[in-house]
Amino acid sequence: MPLNERDIYYFIDVALAHLNKITGNEIVLSDPSIEFQSLVFSAYTGLLHLKDGAEGFVYLTASQQFLQYLAHSNRGRATEEDCREIIGDITNTIAHTVHKRFGAALRISEPRIFSTVPDDPIEMPPAVFVQPLIWRKEHAYFVLGLASAENP
Amino acid sequence: MPILFLGLLPQKILNRIPLMTGTEIYKRTPAYERESREIRLHAPQWKLLLAFDGQRSLSEVALSAEVSFADAVPLARKFLEQGWIEEQPITLDQYLKRMGVLDISGAAVPPATVLHGPRPEVHAPPPLPASTPAEKPAESSPVPEKAPVAKSSGRPMRLNAVVDYITSLVGNISIGQLLVYRVFLRVPPELLLGEDIASVQLVNDTSLIRGEKLQQAIVDAVNIVAKRQLPDSVFAPA
Repeated sequence: MPLNERDIYYFIDVALAHLNKITGNEIVLSDPSIEFQSLVFSAYTGLLHLKDGAEGFVYLTASQQFLQYLAHSNRGRATEEDCREIIGDITNTIAHTVHKRFGAALRISEPRIFSTVPDDPIEMPPAVFVQPLIWRKEHAYFVLGLASAENP
Repeated sequence: MPILFLGLLPQKILNRIPLMTGTEIYKRTPAYERESREIRLHAPQWKLLLAFDGQRSLSEVALSAEVSFADAVPLARKFLEQGWIEEQPITLDQYLKRMGVLDISGAAVPPATVLHGPRPEVHAPPPLPASTPAEKPAESSPVPEKAPVAKSSGRPMRLNAVVDYITSLVGNISIGQLLVYRVFLRVPPELLLGEDIASVQLVNDTSLIRGEKLQQAIVDAVNIVAKRQLPDSVFAPA
């Protein structure tokens, strides 16, 4: 069954809850936008492809400094490998939590972790929803790309 | 005068408050009623505090107040400590109804409408600013209404008015913004790009849409996705 807006918001809520847990509730949401022509990628990205209940993708992309601050919360100075691991952890948590809620109604791919730009091309949907997140003046973006507007 | 100092409650006091799972139901207390005029809180904290109604669970209240659950828990703990809210016990029947499980007699109990609250009668709601909390008129299956149909008559369409109108259809700004996204997924990108609209800011976008094809595409998309007709007020005055 296709997901409605509240279901889709759950993705954002899960990501936010996880980041707020790490940061001590310091994540600030900036005004979101809809982009028709471009995808935003920061230093490191964790991406999930979606099928069935929703067709498309979600990803979290964050600056190196953002991830280094996150790493400092846990484990001191962050290497590139640490940054990939952190974005991977967050993406895995999103995938796991969302899967727990929607089960077989929504197929979620294994997380794709990459730096700068995707290794394999990503098909640009008609529009993407971009939710900027700010922590200690550093930016991350939660991006949702649905293939179509099909509504439940 | 009670002032809430976030994060300053002693750990031993917080430890007396049991862990929260999100299913707890709280109501505001007589102490809150007595002190309410003197309480000083930030606006989002007021929004959360006022949402505790003795009916909805903590997680539902957080969602309606647009506060993440992670943010809502420490605030709720502090409201509890201040004595402004208290837990509202519920009966077994209420519990079973909320959980959507079989009741004792074996009859199926429908799940509680946790996320889709009662839909009030809607009579052509005017467009609301995105920051105005609406009374939850409808979500993704709103009832078509008789509203003044949007007619351009050569007037430009205000993009922020369109966004605000769609957002106001849902009683939650964040979710309303996702409905806006769904609407714009149905608008041909080439029409948007033809008017140099490469993005839509979901708060205070000052763009004006002059092309009638694009205007009509947006009207159609709202009609199909949100099942509403845009009000005439989305157009700039003649």
